[in-house]
Amino acid sequence: MYALLILVPLASSIILNLLPKGVNKRIAFGLSLALSFLQALFIFFPACPVWKTGARTLESVFRFNFFIDNLTSVMLLCISIVVFVTLLASRKFIESGEKRGSFINVILVALIGMNGAVLTRDIFSLYVFLEITAVSSFILIALDKDILAFEGAFKYIVFSAVASVLMLAAISLLLLLTGSTDFNVIHALFKMQPAHNALVILAVGLFLCGLFIKAGLMPFHGWLPDAYSSAPAHISVLLAGVVTKVAGIYALIRIIVSVLGFTAAVQSVLLLTAALSVILGAIASLTQSDFRRMLAYSSISQVGYIVLGLGSGTALGIAGAIFHIFNHATFKSLLFVNCASVEKQTGIRDMRSLSGLAQRMPVTGVTSVIGSLSCAGIPPLAGFWSKLMIIIALWMEGYRVYAFIAILGSLLTLAYFLYLQRSIFFGKLNPEFKDIKEAGFALTFPAILLTAIIILVGLAAPLLLEKQIFTLNSIWGG
Amino acid sequence: MVSAIFITLLFITGIYCIMASYNLVRVLIGVEILIKAVTLMIIVVGSACGRLALAQSLVITLIVVEVVVITVAVGVVLGIHTHNNSLDVRKVRRLKG
Repeated sequence: MYALLILVPLASSIILNLLPKGVNKRIAFGLSLALSFLQALFIFFPACPVWKTGARTLESVFRFNFFIDNLTSVMLLCISIVVFVTLLASRKFIESGEKRGSFINVILVALIGMNGAVLTRDIFSLYVFLEITAVSSFILIALDKDILAFEGAFKYIVFSAVASVLMLAAISLLLLLTGSTDFNVIHALFKMQPAHNALVILAVGLFLCGLFIKAGLMPFHGWLPDAYSSAPAHISVLLAGVVTKVAGIYALIRIIVSVLGFTAAVQSVLLLTAALSVILGAIASLTQSDFRRMLAYSSISQVGYIVLGLGSGTALGIAGAIFHIFNHATFKSLLFVNCASVEKQTGIRDMRSLSGLAQRMPVTGVTSVIGSLSCAGIPPLAGFWSKLMIIIALWMEGYRVYAFIAILGSLLTLAYFLYLQRSIFFGKLNPEFKDIKEAGFALTFPAILLTAIIILVGLAAPLLLEKQIFTLNSIWGG
Repeated sequence: MVSAIFITLLFITGIYCIMASYNLVRVLIGVEILIKAVTLMIIVVGSACGRLALAQSLVITLIVVEVVVITVAVGVVLGIHTHNNSLDVRKVRRLKG
Protein backbone atom coordinates (compact mmCIF):
# COMPACT_ATOMS: atom_id res chain seq x y z
CA MET A 1 0.00 0.00 0.00
CA TYR A 2 2.87 2.36 0.80
CA ALA A 3 4.19 1.95 -2.74
CA LEU A 4 1.43 4.40 -3.69
CA LEU A 5 3.45 7.21 -2.11
CA ILE A 6 6.14 6.66 -4.76
CA LEU A 7 4.10 5.48 -7.72
CA VAL A 8 1.45 8.23 -7.67
CA PRO A 9 3.92 11.17 -7.83
CA LEU A 10 5.93 9.27 -10.45
CA ALA A 11 2.86 8.60 -12.59
CA SER A 12 1.63 12.18 -12.26
CA SER A 13 4.98 13.64 -13.27
CA ILE A 14 5.00 11.41 -16.37
CA ILE A 15 1.40 12.32 -17.22
CA LEU A 16 2.07 16.04 -16.76
CA ASN A 17 4.86 15.84 -19.33
CA LEU A 18 2.74 13.94 -21.83
CA LEU A 19 -0.14 16.42 -21.73
CA PRO A 20 -0.25 19.34 -24.18
CA LYS A 21 1.37 22.49 -22.78
CA GLY A 22 -1.81 24.53 -22.34
CA VAL A 23 -3.49 21.85 -20.21
CA ASN A 24 -0.28 21.18 -18.32
CA LYS A 25 0.06 24.84 -17.30
CA ARG A 26 -3.42 24.91 -15.82
CA ILE A 27 -3.45 21.64 -13.86
CA ALA A 28 0.18 21.10 -12.82
CA PHE A 29 0.06 23.36 -9.79
CA GLY A 30 -3.29 22.11 -8.51
CA LEU A 31 -2.33 18.48 -9.06
CA SER A 32 0.92 18.70 -7.10
CA LEU A 33 -0.82 20.62 -4.31
CA ALA A 34 -3.50 17.94 -4.14
CA LEU A 35 -0.83 15.22 -4.03
CA SER A 36 0.88 16.68 -0.99
CA PHE A 37 -2.50 17.18 0.71
CA LEU A 38 -3.51 13.58 -0.04
CA GLN A 39 -0.24 12.37 1.45
CA ALA A 40 -1.12 14.05 4.76
CA LEU A 41 -4.58 12.44 4.64
CA PHE A 42 -2.96 9.10 3.89
CA ILE A 43 -0.89 9.33 7.07
CA PHE A 44 -3.89 10.17 9.25
CA PHE A 45 -6.31 7.67 7.72
CA PRO A 46 -4.25 4.70 6.55
CA ALA A 47 -7.26 2.39 6.72
CA CYS A 48 -9.36 4.36 4.21
CA PRO A 49 -10.76 1.97 1.54
CA VAL A 50 -9.82 4.34 -1.31
CA TRP A 51 -6.10 3.66 -0.97
CA LYS A 52 -6.56 -0.01 -0.18
CA THR A 53 -8.39 -0.91 -3.37
CA GLY A 54 -5.99 1.18 -5.46
CA ALA A 55 -3.03 -0.44 -3.79
CA ARG A 56 -4.14 -4.03 -4.30
CA THR A 57 -4.13 -3.78 -8.08
CA LEU A 58 -0.80 -1.97 -8.11
CA GLU A 59 0.91 -4.32 -5.71
CA SER A 60 0.25 -7.26 -7.97
CA VAL A 61 2.48 -5.51 -10.54
CA PHE A 62 5.12 -3.69 -8.49
CA ARG A 63 6.78 -5.30 -5.52
CA PHE A 64 8.52 -3.09 -2.99
CA ASN A 65 10.07 -3.95 0.31
CA PHE A 66 8.45 -1.05 2.18
CA PHE A 67 7.63 -0.82 5.82
CA ILE A 68 6.10 1.92 7.93
CA ASP A 69 6.61 2.78 11.58
CA ASN A 70 6.14 5.88 13.74
CA LEU A 71 9.34 7.59 12.60
CA THR A 72 8.38 7.03 8.96
CA SER A 73 4.87 8.42 9.44
CA VAL A 74 6.18 11.54 11.18
CA MET A 75 8.63 12.09 8.33
CA LEU A 76 5.94 11.53 5.68
CA LEU A 77 3.72 14.05 7.45
CA CYS A 78 6.56 16.62 7.60
CA ILE A 79 7.29 16.06 3.90
CA SER A 80 3.66 16.60 2.91
CA ILE A 81 3.29 19.77 5.02
CA VAL A 82 6.50 21.37 3.79
CA VAL A 83 5.97 20.46 0.14
CA PHE A 84 2.44 21.93 0.37
CA VAL A 85 3.79 25.16 1.85
CA THR A 86 6.63 25.38 -0.68
CA LEU A 87 4.23 24.96 -3.59
CA LEU A 88 1.96 27.70 -2.24
CA ALA A 89 4.89 30.06 -1.66
CA SER A 90 6.28 29.38 -5.14
CA ARG A 91 3.13 30.93 -6.61
CA LYS A 92 4.45 34.34 -5.61
CA PHE A 93 7.97 33.83 -6.95
CA ILE A 94 7.56 32.01 -10.27
CA GLU A 95 5.58 34.13 -12.68
CA SER A 96 5.91 32.38 -16.04
CA GLY A 97 3.98 29.19 -16.72
CA GLU A 98 6.93 27.55 -18.48
CA LYS A 99 9.15 27.90 -15.44
CA ARG A 100 6.44 26.75 -13.09
CA GLY A 101 6.08 23.55 -15.11
CA SER A 102 9.74 22.64 -14.74
CA PHE A 103 9.69 23.65 -11.07
CA ILE A 104 6.76 21.32 -10.39
CA ASN A 105 8.42 18.46 -12.25
CA VAL A 106 11.55 18.74 -10.15
CA ILE A 107 9.59 19.08 -6.91
CA LEU A 108 7.64 15.90 -7.72
CA VAL A 109 10.95 14.09 -8.23
CA ALA A 110 12.13 15.44 -4.88
CA LEU A 111 8.90 14.16 -3.32
CA ILE A 112 9.51 10.68 -4.77
CA GLY A 113 13.08 10.71 -3.46
CA MET A 114 12.11 11.77 0.06
CA ASN A 115 9.15 9.39 0.33
CA GLY A 116 11.28 6.54 -0.91
CA ALA A 117 14.13 7.35 1.47
CA VAL A 118 11.87 7.21 4.52
CA LEU A 119 9.99 4.08 3.40
CA THR A 120 12.78 1.81 2.26
CA ARG A 121 14.35 -0.95 4.34
CA ASP A 122 17.57 -1.49 2.43
CA ILE A 123 20.77 0.55 2.79
CA PHE A 124 21.53 0.64 -0.93
CA SER A 125 17.99 1.75 -1.82
CA LEU A 126 18.33 4.37 0.89
CA TYR A 127 21.45 5.66 -0.88
CA VAL A 128 19.66 5.73 -4.26
CA PHE A 129 16.65 7.63 -2.90
CA LEU A 130 18.89 10.10 -1.02
CA GLU A 131 20.73 10.74 -4.26
CA ILE A 132 17.42 11.38 -6.09
CA THR A 133 16.51 13.91 -3.38
CA ALA A 134 19.95 15.52 -3.54
CA VAL A 135 20.00 15.82 -7.34
CA SER A 136 16.55 17.39 -7.44
CA SER A 137 17.55 19.88 -4.75
CA PHE A 138 20.70 20.84 -6.71
CA ILE A 139 18.45 21.64 -9.66
CA LEU A 140 15.95 23.52 -7.49
CA ILE A 141 18.73 25.70 -6.02
CA ALA A 142 20.15 26.57 -9.44
CA LEU A 143 16.76 26.99 -11.14
CA ASP A 144 16.96 30.80 -11.20
CA LYS A 145 20.34 30.73 -13.03
CA ASP A 146 21.71 33.32 -10.64
CA ILE A 147 25.50 33.25 -10.12
CA LEU A 148 25.17 33.04 -6.34
CA ALA A 149 22.76 30.11 -6.69
CA PHE A 150 25.25 28.35 -8.98
CA GLU A 151 27.99 28.82 -6.39
CA GLY A 152 25.81 27.50 -3.57
CA ALA A 153 24.69 24.55 -5.69
CA PHE A 154 28.26 23.69 -6.66
CA LYS A 155 29.41 23.61 -3.05
CA TYR A 156 26.41 21.46 -2.15
CA ILE A 157 27.16 19.07 -5.05
CA VAL A 158 30.80 18.55 -4.08
CA PHE A 159 30.05 18.06 -0.37
CA SER A 160 27.11 15.79 -1.09
CA ALA A 161 29.09 13.69 -3.57
CA VAL A 162 31.89 13.18 -1.05
CA ALA A 163 29.28 12.24 1.59
CA SER A 164 27.73 9.73 -0.82
CA VAL A 165 31.12 8.20 -1.53
CA LEU A 166 31.78 7.78 2.21
CA MET A 167 28.34 6.19 2.68
CA LEU A 168 28.90 3.84 -0.27
CA ALA A 169 32.25 2.77 1.11
CA ALA A 170 30.52 1.99 4.42
CA ILE A 171 27.75 0.11 2.58
CA SER A 172 30.29 -2.05 0.76
CA LEU A 173 32.09 -2.78 4.06
CA LEU A 174 28.76 -3.81 5.61
CA LEU A 175 28.16 -6.01 2.57
CA LEU A 176 31.53 -7.63 3.16
CA LEU A 177 30.79 -8.21 6.85
CA THR A 178 27.21 -9.45 6.56
CA GLY A 179 26.65 -10.38 2.92
CA SER A 180 23.46 -8.37 2.70
CA THR A 181 22.13 -4.82 2.38
CA ASP A 182 18.82 -5.42 4.18
CA PHE A 183 18.30 -3.49 7.44
CA ASN A 184 16.92 -6.46 9.37
CA VAL A 185 19.58 -8.95 8.27
CA ILE A 186 22.44 -6.61 9.17
CA HIS A 187 20.83 -5.66 12.47
CA ALA A 188 20.24 -9.29 13.45
CA LEU A 189 23.83 -10.23 12.61
CA PHE A 190 25.29 -7.28 14.52
CA LYS A 191 23.08 -8.08 17.49
CA MET A 192 24.10 -11.74 17.58
CA GLN A 193 27.84 -11.13 17.47
CA PRO A 194 28.78 -7.54 18.30
CA ALA A 195 32.01 -7.53 16.33
CA HIS A 196 34.60 -5.02 17.43
CA ASN A 197 37.19 -5.44 14.75
CA ALA A 198 38.72 -2.62 12.73
CA LEU A 199 36.43 -3.12 9.73
CA VAL A 200 33.25 -2.56 11.78
CA ILE A 201 34.68 0.60 13.34
CA LEU A 202 35.77 1.84 9.90
CA ALA A 203 32.31 1.15 8.43
CA VAL A 204 30.48 2.92 11.27
CA GLY A 205 32.89 5.86 11.15
CA LEU A 206 32.52 6.30 7.38
CA PHE A 207 28.73 6.08 7.61
CA LEU A 208 28.60 8.65 10.41
CA CYS A 209 30.91 11.06 8.53
CA GLY A 210 28.78 10.80 5.39
CA LEU A 211 25.54 11.40 7.27
CA PHE A 212 27.02 14.29 9.31
CA ILE A 213 27.97 16.01 6.04
CA LYS A 214 24.47 15.48 4.63
CA ALA A 215 22.86 16.75 7.85
CA GLY A 216 25.21 19.75 8.01
CA LEU A 217 26.41 19.18 11.56
CA MET A 218 29.02 21.61 12.76
CA PRO A 219 32.46 20.48 11.65
CA PHE A 220 30.94 19.41 8.31
CA HIS A 221 28.57 22.34 7.75
CA GLY A 222 30.49 24.30 5.09
CA TRP A 223 27.91 23.95 2.34
CA LEU A 224 24.73 24.50 4.34
CA PRO A 225 24.57 28.29 4.91
CA ASP A 226 25.68 28.93 1.32
CA ALA A 227 23.12 26.58 -0.19
CA TYR A 228 20.26 27.91 1.98
CA SER A 229 21.04 31.56 1.46
CA SER A 230 21.74 31.37 -2.27
CA ALA A 231 18.67 29.30 -3.20
CA PRO A 232 15.47 31.09 -4.29
CA ALA A 233 13.43 32.08 -1.21
CA HIS A 234 10.69 29.47 -1.66
CA ILE A 235 13.25 26.69 -2.24
CA SER A 236 15.02 27.40 1.03
CA VAL A 237 11.72 26.59 2.77
CA LEU A 238 11.87 23.09 1.26
CA LEU A 239 15.61 22.67 1.87
CA ALA A 240 15.52 23.72 5.51
CA GLY A 241 12.20 22.10 6.27
CA VAL A 242 12.67 18.59 4.98
CA VAL A 243 15.44 17.92 2.46
CA THR A 244 18.36 18.04 4.88
CA LYS A 245 16.23 16.47 7.61
CA VAL A 246 15.42 13.45 5.45
CA ALA A 247 18.86 13.18 3.86
CA GLY A 248 20.82 13.64 7.07
CA ILE A 249 18.85 13.29 10.26
CA TYR A 250 16.28 10.67 9.29
CA ALA A 251 18.99 8.51 7.71
CA LEU A 252 21.19 8.99 10.79
CA ILE A 253 18.46 7.90 13.22
CA ARG A 254 17.45 4.98 11.03
CA ILE A 255 20.98 3.73 10.46
CA ILE A 256 21.98 4.06 14.12
CA VAL A 257 18.81 2.64 15.67
CA SER A 258 17.68 0.06 13.13
CA VAL A 259 20.93 -1.07 11.53
CA LEU A 260 24.16 -0.51 13.42
CA GLY A 261 22.89 -0.35 16.99
CA PHE A 262 24.19 1.83 19.81
CA THR A 263 27.69 1.48 21.20
CA ALA A 264 29.39 3.71 23.74
CA ALA A 265 31.79 5.07 21.10
CA VAL A 266 28.97 5.98 18.67
CA GLN A 267 27.09 7.66 21.51
CA SER A 268 30.00 9.85 22.56
CA VAL A 269 30.71 10.87 18.95
CA LEU A 270 27.04 11.82 18.48
CA LEU A 271 26.87 13.81 21.72
CA LEU A 272 30.10 15.67 21.04
CA THR A 273 29.19 16.64 17.46
CA ALA A 274 25.69 17.62 18.53
CA ALA A 275 26.93 19.81 21.39
CA LEU A 276 29.40 21.52 19.04
CA SER A 277 26.61 22.18 16.54
CA VAL A 278 24.21 23.52 19.18
CA ILE A 279 26.68 26.04 20.59
CA LEU A 280 28.74 27.03 17.54
CA GLY A 281 25.65 27.17 15.29
CA ALA A 282 23.94 29.55 17.72
CA ILE A 283 27.05 31.72 18.12
CA ALA A 284 27.57 31.85 14.35
CA SER A 285 23.99 32.94 13.78
CA LEU A 286 24.40 35.75 16.33
CA THR A 287 27.06 37.27 14.09
CA GLN A 288 25.07 37.24 10.83
CA SER A 289 23.50 40.25 9.19
CA ASP A 290 21.73 38.43 6.32
CA PHE A 291 18.56 36.96 7.83
CA ARG A 292 18.57 33.85 5.66
CA ARG A 293 22.13 33.03 6.71
CA MET A 294 21.08 33.54 10.33
CA LEU A 295 18.26 31.02 9.89
CA ALA A 296 20.64 28.60 8.16
CA TYR A 297 23.02 28.65 11.12
CA SER A 298 20.01 28.35 13.42
CA SER A 299 19.09 25.19 11.49
CA ILE A 300 22.52 23.75 12.27
CA SER A 301 21.95 24.51 15.94
CA GLN A 302 18.48 22.90 15.98
CA VAL A 303 19.76 19.81 14.16
CA GLY A 304 22.26 19.59 16.99
CA TYR A 305 19.35 19.28 19.43
CA ILE A 306 17.84 16.42 17.44
CA VAL A 307 21.17 14.57 17.48
CA LEU A 308 21.55 15.29 21.22
CA GLY A 309 18.22 13.54 21.76
CA LEU A 310 19.37 10.60 19.65
CA GLY A 311 22.72 10.52 21.43
CA SER A 312 21.12 10.23 24.85
CA GLY A 313 20.37 6.65 23.80
CA THR A 314 17.11 6.34 25.72
CA ALA A 315 13.55 5.84 24.55
CA LEU A 316 12.55 9.28 25.86
CA GLY A 317 15.45 10.95 24.04
CA ILE A 318 14.57 9.30 20.73
CA ALA A 319 10.91 10.30 21.11
CA GLY A 320 12.03 13.87 21.84
CA ALA A 321 14.32 13.84 18.80
CA ILE A 322 11.54 12.66 16.47
CA PHE A 323 9.11 15.21 17.93
CA HIS A 324 11.75 17.91 17.44
CA ILE A 325 12.12 16.92 13.77
CA PHE A 326 8.41 17.60 13.31
CA ASN A 327 8.61 20.88 15.24
CA HIS A 328 11.69 21.95 13.34
CA ALA A 329 9.95 21.27 10.04
CA THR A 330 7.04 23.51 11.06
CA PHE A 331 8.79 26.45 12.72
CA LYS A 332 11.75 26.64 10.39
CA SER A 333 9.50 26.50 7.32
CA LEU A 334 7.37 29.22 8.92
CA LEU A 335 10.39 31.46 9.49
CA PHE A 336 11.68 30.88 5.95
CA VAL A 337 8.21 31.71 4.56
CA ASN A 338 8.28 34.95 6.57
CA CYS A 339 11.74 35.72 5.21
CA ALA A 340 10.42 35.06 1.72
CA SER A 341 7.62 37.61 2.27
CA VAL A 342 10.00 40.25 3.62
CA GLU A 343 12.41 39.63 0.76
CA LYS A 344 9.64 39.72 -1.85
CA GLN A 345 8.13 42.97 -0.54
CA THR A 346 11.30 44.93 0.26
CA GLY A 347 13.98 43.27 -1.86
CA ILE A 348 16.43 43.55 1.05
CA ARG A 349 18.08 40.74 2.97
CA ASP A 350 20.34 42.73 5.24
CA MET A 351 18.75 43.05 8.68
CA ARG A 352 20.61 46.27 9.46
CA SER A 353 18.74 48.23 6.81
CA LEU A 354 15.28 47.02 7.84
CA SER A 355 13.12 48.15 10.74
CA GLY A 356 9.55 48.44 11.96
CA LEU A 357 8.04 46.24 9.27
CA ALA A 358 5.46 44.81 11.70
CA GLN A 359 3.36 47.94 11.21
CA ARG A 360 3.11 47.38 7.48
CA MET A 361 3.16 43.53 7.51
CA PRO A 362 1.18 42.51 10.60
CA VAL A 363 0.57 38.85 9.66
CA THR A 364 4.24 38.24 8.85
CA GLY A 365 5.31 40.03 12.03
CA VAL A 366 3.02 38.11 14.39
CA THR A 367 3.63 34.67 12.83
CA SER A 368 7.39 35.14 12.86
CA VAL A 369 7.32 36.04 16.57
CA ILE A 370 5.46 32.78 17.27
CA GLY A 371 7.85 30.78 15.08
CA SER A 372 10.89 32.26 16.82
CA LEU A 373 9.49 31.65 20.29
CA SER A 374 8.69 28.03 19.41
CA CYS A 375 12.24 27.61 18.09
CA ALA A 376 13.69 29.10 21.29
CA GLY A 377 11.59 26.67 23.36
CA ILE A 378 9.18 29.04 25.12
CA PRO A 379 6.16 27.27 26.69
CA PRO A 380 3.43 26.52 25.71
CA LEU A 381 4.55 26.39 22.05
CA ALA A 382 5.42 23.08 20.41
CA GLY A 383 9.21 23.58 20.44
CA PHE A 384 9.23 23.73 24.25
CA TRP A 385 7.96 20.17 24.72
CA SER A 386 10.45 18.50 22.42
CA LYS A 387 13.39 20.42 23.91
CA LEU A 388 12.16 19.58 27.41
CA MET A 389 12.02 15.88 26.54
CA ILE A 390 15.54 15.96 25.10
CA ILE A 391 16.96 17.79 28.14
CA ILE A 392 15.22 15.47 30.62
CA ALA A 393 16.50 12.44 28.72
CA LEU A 394 20.06 13.79 28.85
CA TRP A 395 19.78 14.61 32.56
CA MET A 396 18.35 11.21 33.47
CA GLU A 397 21.21 9.44 31.70
CA GLY A 398 23.73 11.49 33.68
CA TYR A 399 24.93 13.64 30.78
CA ARG A 400 24.52 16.79 32.87
CA VAL A 401 27.12 18.81 30.95
CA TYR A 402 25.25 18.16 27.71
CA ALA A 403 21.95 19.08 29.36
CA PHE A 404 23.48 22.41 30.43
CA ILE A 405 24.78 22.93 26.89
CA ALA A 406 21.27 22.33 25.57
CA ILE A 407 19.82 24.93 27.96
CA LEU A 408 22.57 27.42 27.11
CA GLY A 409 21.92 26.85 23.40
CA SER A 410 18.25 27.60 23.98
CA LEU A 411 19.14 30.95 25.59
CA LEU A 412 21.41 31.80 22.64
CA THR A 413 18.55 30.86 20.28
CA LEU A 414 16.30 33.31 22.08
CA ALA A 415 19.03 35.97 21.83
CA TYR A 416 19.49 35.76 18.06
CA PHE A 417 15.79 35.55 17.37
CA LEU A 418 15.11 38.62 19.51
CA TYR A 419 17.81 40.40 17.51
CA LEU A 420 16.14 39.29 14.26
CA GLN A 421 12.68 40.39 15.42
CA ARG A 422 13.92 43.69 16.76
CA SER A 423 15.83 44.62 13.64
CA ILE A 424 13.23 43.55 11.07
CA PHE A 425 9.81 43.91 12.65
CA PHE A 426 9.99 46.06 15.78
CA GLY A 427 10.98 49.66 16.24
CA LYS A 428 10.26 52.73 14.16
CA LEU A 429 9.21 52.26 10.57
CA ASN A 430 11.87 53.42 8.16
CA PRO A 431 10.22 56.10 5.94
CA GLU A 432 11.40 54.39 2.73
CA PHE A 433 9.22 51.37 3.62
CA LYS A 434 6.01 53.32 4.22
CA ASP A 435 4.42 51.96 1.03
CA ILE A 436 5.22 48.33 1.77
CA LYS A 437 2.14 46.10 1.80
CA GLU A 438 1.55 42.66 3.29
CA ALA A 439 2.68 39.89 0.93
CA GLY A 440 -0.30 38.27 -0.76
CA PHE A 441 -2.40 35.29 0.18
CA ALA A 442 0.14 32.84 -1.30
CA LEU A 443 2.61 33.74 1.45
CA THR A 444 0.34 34.67 4.36
CA PHE A 445 -1.82 31.53 4.14
CA PRO A 446 1.10 29.10 4.63
CA ALA A 447 2.38 31.30 7.48
CA ILE A 448 -1.00 31.22 9.24
CA LEU A 449 -1.37 27.47 8.63
CA LEU A 450 2.06 26.69 10.12
CA THR A 451 1.44 29.03 13.08
CA ALA A 452 -1.83 27.22 13.77
CA ILE A 453 -0.01 23.87 13.72
CA ILE A 454 2.66 25.17 16.13
CA ILE A 455 0.12 26.59 18.60
CA LEU A 456 -2.26 23.61 18.42
CA VAL A 457 0.48 21.01 18.81
CA GLY A 458 1.96 23.04 21.67
CA LEU A 459 -1.35 23.34 23.52
CA ALA A 460 -2.37 19.76 22.85
CA ALA A 461 1.05 18.29 23.68
CA PRO A 462 0.19 17.45 27.34
CA LEU A 463 -2.83 15.49 26.09
CA LEU A 464 -0.88 13.84 23.29
CA LEU A 465 2.14 12.95 25.43
CA GLU A 466 0.95 9.55 26.66
CA LYS A 467 -0.58 8.13 23.52
CA GLN A 468 1.09 9.83 20.56
CA ILE A 469 4.40 11.35 21.55
CA PHE A 470 5.88 8.79 23.92
CA THR A 471 4.97 6.02 21.50
CA LEU A 472 7.13 7.70 18.84
CA ASN A 473 10.00 5.72 20.31
CA SER A 474 8.55 2.37 19.28
CA ILE A 475 11.46 1.99 16.85
CA TRP A 476 13.66 1.72 19.92
CA GLY A 477 14.42 -1.72 21.32
CA GLY A 478 12.75 -3.51 18.40
CA MET B 1 45.24 -7.43 -1.19
CA VAL B 2 46.43 -5.84 -4.45
CA SER B 3 42.92 -4.57 -5.08
CA ALA B 4 42.70 -3.09 -1.57
CA ILE B 5 45.91 -1.13 -2.19
CA PHE B 6 44.66 -0.02 -5.58
CA ILE B 7 41.33 1.15 -4.11
CA THR B 8 43.14 3.12 -1.39
CA LEU B 9 45.37 4.73 -4.02
CA LEU B 10 42.34 5.74 -6.07
CA PHE B 11 40.73 7.23 -2.95
CA ILE B 12 43.82 9.27 -2.15
CA THR B 13 44.11 10.44 -5.77
CA GLY B 14 40.47 11.54 -5.79
CA ILE B 15 40.70 13.44 -2.50
CA TYR B 16 43.95 15.07 -3.61
CA CYS B 17 42.39 16.03 -6.95
CA ILE B 18 39.41 17.69 -5.21
CA MET B 19 41.55 19.55 -2.70
CA ALA B 20 44.51 20.63 -4.81
CA SER B 21 43.03 21.66 -8.15
CA TYR B 22 41.87 25.18 -8.97
CA ASN B 23 39.67 24.17 -11.89
CA LEU B 24 35.97 23.38 -11.42
CA VAL B 25 36.02 20.58 -14.00
CA ARG B 26 39.05 19.02 -12.31
CA VAL B 27 37.16 19.05 -9.01
CA LEU B 28 34.39 17.06 -10.71
CA ILE B 29 37.00 14.68 -12.15
CA GLY B 30 38.21 14.17 -8.58
CA VAL B 31 34.65 13.28 -7.54
CA GLU B 32 34.49 10.84 -10.47
CA ILE B 33 37.74 9.17 -9.36
CA LEU B 34 36.31 8.77 -5.85
CA ILE B 35 33.14 7.16 -7.22
CA LYS B 36 35.24 4.85 -9.40
CA ALA B 37 37.16 3.77 -6.30
CA VAL B 38 33.88 2.92 -4.54
CA THR B 39 32.58 1.06 -7.60
CA LEU B 40 35.70 -1.05 -7.68
CA MET B 41 35.37 -1.62 -3.94
CA ILE B 42 31.81 -2.95 -4.29
CA ILE B 43 32.90 -5.39 -7.01
CA VAL B 44 35.85 -6.62 -4.95
CA VAL B 45 33.65 -7.01 -1.87
CA GLY B 46 31.04 -8.89 -3.91
CA SER B 47 33.58 -11.40 -5.14
CA ALA B 48 35.14 -11.71 -1.68
CA CYS B 49 31.88 -12.57 0.08
CA GLY B 50 30.40 -14.61 -2.74
CA ARG B 51 27.54 -12.22 -3.61
CA LEU B 52 28.76 -11.23 -7.06
CA ALA B 53 25.25 -11.05 -8.55
CA LEU B 54 24.09 -8.60 -5.86
CA ALA B 55 27.28 -6.57 -6.27
CA GLN B 56 26.79 -6.35 -10.03
CA SER B 57 23.25 -5.04 -9.72
CA LEU B 58 24.42 -2.49 -7.14
CA VAL B 59 27.24 -1.34 -9.43
CA ILE B 60 24.95 -0.89 -12.42
CA THR B 61 22.54 1.20 -10.33
CA LEU B 62 25.49 3.17 -8.97
CA ILE B 63 26.75 3.96 -12.48
CA VAL B 64 23.33 5.32 -13.48
CA VAL B 65 23.05 7.48 -10.34
CA GLU B 66 26.61 8.76 -10.83
CA VAL B 67 25.93 9.83 -14.41
CA VAL B 68 22.87 11.83 -13.28
CA VAL B 69 24.80 13.59 -10.50
CA ILE B 70 27.72 14.47 -12.79
CA THR B 71 25.37 15.74 -15.52
CA VAL B 72 23.70 18.16 -13.10
CA ALA B 73 27.11 19.16 -11.73
CA VAL B 74 28.47 19.91 -15.20
CA GLY B 75 25.35 21.98 -15.88
CA VAL B 76 26.09 24.04 -12.78
CA VAL B 77 29.75 24.43 -13.84
CA LEU B 78 28.56 25.60 -17.26
CA GLY B 79 26.34 28.17 -15.52
CA ILE B 80 29.28 29.44 -13.47
CA HIS B 81 31.36 29.66 -16.65
CA THR B 82 28.79 31.80 -18.47
CA HIS B 83 28.75 34.25 -15.54
CA ASN B 84 32.46 34.31 -14.67
CA ASN B 85 34.05 33.52 -18.04
CA SER B 86 36.48 31.30 -16.22
CA LEU B 87 36.56 27.97 -14.42
CA ASP B 88 38.84 29.14 -11.63
CA VAL B 89 37.75 28.01 -8.17
CA ARG B 90 39.31 31.13 -6.67
CA LYS B 91 36.73 33.28 -8.45
CA VAL B 92 33.84 31.33 -6.90
CA ARG B 93 34.01 33.21 -3.60
CA ARG B 94 31.03 35.47 -3.41
CA LEU B 95 29.36 33.54 -0.56
CA LYS B 96 31.05 34.12 2.74
CA GLY B 97 30.40 34.36 6.47
